[in-house]
Amino acid sequence: MSDRGYDWTALPGGMRAAIGVPGLVMAASFIGFGALVRGLEIGLLPGLLSTALIWALPGQVVFLNMYAEGAVMLAIAVAVTVTAVRLLPMVVLVISKVRIANGTRWPLYLLAHFIAVTIWRVAEDGLEELDRHKRMPWLLGVGLALMGAMLIMTTIGYYLAQTLPPVLAACLIFMTPSFFFVSLFASARFTMDYLAIALGVIIGPLAHQYLPDLDLVIAGAVGGTIAYVAARPRRHRR
Amino acid sequence: MSGLASLVLLAVVAGWAVTYGWRFAGVYLAERMAPDSEVLLWVRAVATALVAALVARIILVPPGQLGSTALEARVMAMVLGVAGFYLFRRQMGLGVATAVLSLFVMSWWFGG
Repeated sequence: MSDRGYDWTALPGGMRAAIGVPGLVMAASFIGFGALVRGLEIGLLPGLLSTALIWALPGQVVFLNMYAEGAVMLAIAVAVTVTAVRLLPMVVLVISKVRIANGTRWPLYLLAHFIAVTIWRVAEDGLEELDRHKRMPWLLGVGLALMGAMLIMTTIGYYLAQTLPPVLAACLIFMTPSFFFVSLFASARFTMDYLAIALGVIIGPLAHQYLPDLDLVIAGAVGGTIAYVAARPRRHRR
Repeated sequence: MSGLASLVLLAVVAGWAVTYGWRFAGVYLAERMAPDSEVLLWVRAVATALVAALVARIILVPPGQLGSTALEARVMAMVLGVAGFYLFRRQMGLGVATAVLSLFVMSWWFGG
């Protein structure tokens, strides 16, 4: 191990690398997200705040839906935090790829704020050939560029939804759930994952009829636990 | 407290803090926990079911202009999107494009 710290000259390269297929899918999703914000009739600001502070679309959509319904802070916090649990394994994977033995630790905690599905995928693709000292600054550059771009995309989507014909606006809104749903299949590796998707789709609407505030939490906890118990992947698989 | 201040407070507490907590824990655990540990597998299943339920909710209770499309068209478009993802060699962007284009064509065709 070297006693060098992080090589911050890699940061601009990361910002340029943000322009690519994952970034484009993300941009389309955030234009759709902006249109969705418009549909909730709560103004643009809550949407921009959710992009900058939550930076994970499922949490953002849950936050804004519940905010629009006038749910209490505690209920929103519980629902949002449950959607954010899924970030933990991604952060573990990304951080273990970028950390260096004697590097300062605060940049890792800064980088963590930017880690979500897209950054995780970018990290899987782009980090291997990079010198280890360049990885953290490079990925931070990706994150900063993506967040700046997505704040703009949220705004563009918000105003596009006001001027577009209803069918096109509907298609923009539809991008966000499509992106979630396809990405669930893209990241599914085990029978457990597919079972969890099916159970979530079935239990969610049922729970929504009886406990609309907690439907997602219930669908996640019940569906996920059943999927885990019924189809737990073998540990020695890898 | 003004509307703006309470909105920012809500976003920081019920948005940022409860999300960043898991990211913070991720950094903390990165040096201490195997990425394929048993707890993370369960967490992964819960998160997957939760996001699937969120998608189902958006399809069944569509926000804004999405409500102008037919329920059958939304369900069918989502199924076609997943089919497209596998058909186009697991390209996520093409799966999403298939779903959105399907919804567009069906809505246009049936005068949505």
